[in-house]
Amino acid sequence: MSAVLPVTPPVEAAAGYRHSVRRFARNRLAVAGLVVVILFLLFSFLGPLLYSTDQTHTNLTQVNLAPGGAHLLGTDAVGHDELGRLMYGGRVSLLVGLAAGILATVIGTLWGAIAGYAGGWIDAVMMRVVDAGIAIPALFILLVVSAITTPDTVGLILILGLVSWLVPSRLVRAETLTLKNRDYVLTLRAVGGTHGRAITRHILPNSVSTIVVAATFQVADAILLVAYVSYLGLGVQPPSTDWGGMLSAGLTAAYSGRWWLIVPPGLAIILVVCAFNAIGDGLRDTFDVRGRG
Amino acid sequence: MSILEIENLGVTFSTETGDVPAVRDVSLRVRPGETLALVGESGSGKSTVALAAMGLLPGSARATGRVRVGGTDVIGAAEADLAGLRGRTASMVFQEPATALDPLTRIGAQIAEVIRNHRPVPVKDAAREAVELLRRVGIPEPERRAFAYPFQLSGGQRQRVVIAMAIANAPSLLIADEPTTALDVTVQAEILDLLRGLAADSGTGVLLVTHNMGVVADFADRVAVMLQGEVVETGPVEEVLLRPTDDYTRRLLEAVPRLSLADPPSGARDRPVEEPVVDLREVSVRFGRGRRAVRALDGVSLTVRPGETVGLVGESGSGKSTAARVALGLVAPSAGSVSLFGADLGRAGGRARRALLSGVGVVLQDPVASLDARMSVGECVAEPLRVHRRGMSSAERRARVADVLELVRLPRDLAHRGPRELSGGQRQRVSLARALVLRPRLLVADEPTSALDVSVQRSVLEVIRELQDELGFACLFVSHDLAVVQQFAQHVVVLRAGRIEEEGSTATTLLHPRTDYTRRLIAAVPVPDPVLQRRRRDERRAAMGVKA
Amino acid sequence: MDTFLYLTRRVLQSLVVILIVTVVVFCLLHALPGGPARGILGPQATAQQIAQFNHEQGLDRSLPVQYLYYLRTLLHGDLGTSYTLNEAVSRLIEQRLPKTLVLTVLSALVGLALAVPLGMWQAVRRNRPVDYVITTLSFVAYSTPVYFLGLVLVLVFTQLLPWFPSQAPQGDTLGQVLAQPNALVLPVVAGAASMVAVFSRYMRAATLENLSEDYVRTVRAGGSGPRAILWRHVFRNSLTPVVAMLGYYVPVLFGGALVVEQLFNYPGMGLLFWSAAQSSDYPVLLGCVLVISVATVVGTLLADVVQRIIDPRVKAGRA
Repeated sequence: MSAVLPVTPPVEAAAGYRHSVRRFARNRLAVAGLVVVILFLLFSFLGPLLYSTDQTHTNLTQVNLAPGGAHLLGTDAVGHDELGRLMYGGRVSLLVGLAAGILATVIGTLWGAIAGYAGGWIDAVMMRVVDAGIAIPALFILLVVSAITTPDTVGLILILGLVSWLVPSRLVRAETLTLKNRDYVLTLRAVGGTHGRAITRHILPNSVSTIVVAATFQVADAILLVAYVSYLGLGVQPPSTDWGGMLSAGLTAAYSGRWWLIVPPGLAIILVVCAFNAIGDGLRDTFDVRGRG
Repeated sequence: MSILEIENLGVTFSTETGDVPAVRDVSLRVRPGETLALVGESGSGKSTVALAAMGLLPGSARATGRVRVGGTDVIGAAEADLAGLRGRTASMVFQEPATALDPLTRIGAQIAEVIRNHRPVPVKDAAREAVELLRRVGIPEPERRAFAYPFQLSGGQRQRVVIAMAIANAPSLLIADEPTTALDVTVQAEILDLLRGLAADSGTGVLLVTHNMGVVADFADRVAVMLQGEVVETGPVEEVLLRPTDDYTRRLLEAVPRLSLADPPSGARDRPVEEPVVDLREVSVRFGRGRRAVRALDGVSLTVRPGETVGLVGESGSGKSTAARVALGLVAPSAGSVSLFGADLGRAGGRARRALLSGVGVVLQDPVASLDARMSVGECVAEPLRVHRRGMSSAERRARVADVLELVRLPRDLAHRGPRELSGGQRQRVSLARALVLRPRLLVADEPTSALDVSVQRSVLEVIRELQDELGFACLFVSHDLAVVQQFAQHVVVLRAGRIEEEGSTATTLLHPRTDYTRRLIAAVPVPDPVLQRRRRDERRAAMGVKA
Repeated sequence: MDTFLYLTRRVLQSLVVILIVTVVVFCLLHALPGGPARGILGPQATAQQIAQFNHEQGLDRSLPVQYLYYLRTLLHGDLGTSYTLNEAVSRLIEQRLPKTLVLTVLSALVGLALAVPLGMWQAVRRNRPVDYVITTLSFVAYSTPVYFLGLVLVLVFTQLLPWFPSQAPQGDTLGQVLAQPNALVLPVVAGAASMVAVFSRYMRAATLENLSEDYVRTVRAGGSGPRAILWRHVFRNSLTPVVAMLGYYVPVLFGGALVVEQLFNYPGMGLLFWSAAQSSDYPVLLGCVLVISVATVVGTLLADVVQRIIDPRVKAGRA
């Protein structure tokens, strides 16, 4: 009854949204993350317009050149310009990561919302399936898949989405469980409102912040997974590449001192994954939702 | 000399939207052996004053002025000095016993920690003292209970443990912040008796923070009334409660629902004879299965007839909310039947069931959780129309929403605002508007005003009653507050542990209860009149003494 | 709920989970046209050779029959025979699993021992430079692919500063592995890095949440100092949810071991799995996935049991 904090003055209608933006903007790490993501998107998709390189043909007269001169970041073992390659690789890494992360979130949201709202034995069965999925480490599945087939980009997105929807499904289920017992949902049910209305008008809209936060972390994880994919032998085929492919291709070169083949793609992966994690962290604090620590 | 001296205390919170003053220029004194009650509605700053006295203000608060506890300045004191003061010179009892204790530490150890914080007592002796303290605060089998974890105790017992921690080093000042607000009324009476006894034995000064005028009348020697961060009236309890001089104090006291103890002038009216709008027959509800099953309701039968208000009262865990949910079709009974407007709700499916439910409106307790913050007020109120009047044009709907908002005494243009912008009382009126938008024949209200301040509670209850006269709906009114039910309902049903203890017309049942339980329940309600309350207390204790 | 009932229920649930795992893996392995036969016999194999191989391996029956057949052999503890190594899969796993467990358990212990104090330190120094620095470092540690981190570790600590060997301990027995603690350092560090990152975040969040709980105010009001509050009360209360998260982290630990073993040439199950994938040795792949999943399920179960021991509320079925 007795509030320790004074009653906050009433907030303007639109201020809810503006307030969120301001809260997010105050989280310096999150803003930095957003800037990094935008810069890398510009770099990968508009960069080649300013810095045009040939990434389809090998050029055996220009292999393993150190950075400097005509090739700002040097060249690799088959003569591709490393800076240009970083741009082309970024396209695949970012595209696959974003698409797979979003796909995983969509699958997880649907699965979790249905399980949580249905409850009872349907929930129990659906959640045992999630437990089973979590019990098989994703890297093991990816390696098994690599032993079977080499997928194209769309296949890669599907596979990554299918191995990583489990965590968001648990989050959304937990959210649905609390929301379905909120007073406004009970009130709707008490006047004869349907389950469909409860889900579409109340439960999903109120889960949006949880889902957005989950999606951000999911994209971060997916970009990281993409980086593992080439290492596991599932990556896109040359002459196309991604940052993970560049990194694993450069692993042996690193021992002979050709650092420029691994440091740029390594840093790119770390920076972008960090950036998405920082954004997710900031969004979670802004929306005040629970997600991973 | 005073044990607590507060002079010109000001507290400001820095928030995201700027500085908010919570307390302005407050001066108070508590002398040894005296109880000062600090009363006010939510946001009045009374708890902030209590926390400032303990040096426990959160980091976002800035305090000015002077607070002296036992001669030591608190404002600006080093944390180490404050730690030396807390639990020895001054102790505190908090509102929420459910969360006030460390869940992973045995209660004996938690008490022993307070002892050893201030006295170099060996661990064994501290443990022995802790058991002694548990005995003093009335915990049965203290030797065994000292090894219990907080979750193994009831709310009242937990509050006793917090009190044991507070008196462990015989402090000269005890600060109690809403110590009984979260407890049932019978438990409240026991805890107040305990605190009063302990304070009288040791000559401890007490600062009692509360919103409940009955508690004030029961416990306090002097009263300070706070409004928006300032003290508006101070004086002896008889003066302030019986002859208030300040306008606000007078209004506050008027708004307090009083349990009337004399026979009403007119005799009890007969219940309407028409067919009931809702009829629960021998309803039982069980949650869980097997050995862990909980019987929430056990063979409960109750009816609400057209136009009447039935009050459903009981303590926490009595099953009163479950009964309301059964009537709404939200909980299916495991035995018995429910009929709504003469039709069996359990048998009706699909369209027939929805048609039945369109005749019912609902208002639930929590003003925050009752409205979806993502919708505008207008969308919230219009939701039942969207479910049941699919053919309605949006213009018609808007007009209907504006009409019903006006009906509950809210501005018509409130429809465009968001629930977050409204106060608790306004939100509950919006809930009421939503409940009435289909012109229901039955309103089910589950503690609709329990989360509101008394003045707001009064205006919301008035609106419900006036609309009931105007629109003629029946009402199933669930409440823990006997005084509110007495004013509001014609017929009352007393629930206890899932069973009906007794029922009858409100006038006779609450004045001349037939069962011991109802008698005890009524005797435990404190009335906001210190003279009368003293007499009631003596009567209650005499009755208990005879029984024992 | 009493402990026995709870355990029975959890064990039954785990069995269901393992059953689902076998179905998933089985379907996965039979997803390709041509089947395992072509993978073993090579692209030049004739149709007749494939048919004969399929018949010998029982691969010409319908999928459900094959699955039931497989389940039956599983119940006899028979995981099949490796296509390439000509040895019982169960035998191979028996040799390799303990080594992987040593690696993962060591990584987990090192990870937790660092993460818990770091997270508490951050919570106490919230929004101060220390907090920002550790937060940034844990983001970086989380975002670095293990194989890249391993490479950097090898370059720095074996070439630049020759402190540790670049190869993990070799040898057939556990004793031989543990006899070279020096060689275990880099693999364990690589395996623990992302765990430190994740669990310091968990611990920070849990500590912050507990510091704002009501009971902390009660303890303060009793005159306890900041140190007593932190170590006597907040520490234990924060640790409980973190232990619960440990269960979910077991599969990530095994995933990390897969890469670390390959990277440092550590003869555990990860390396076995890796080479089996290169040669499409399906019985080994299936066996490893199954055993890893069972280990994960058992690990999750253990974490639950530990949580029940340290949190009396869970024992009562209330939390």
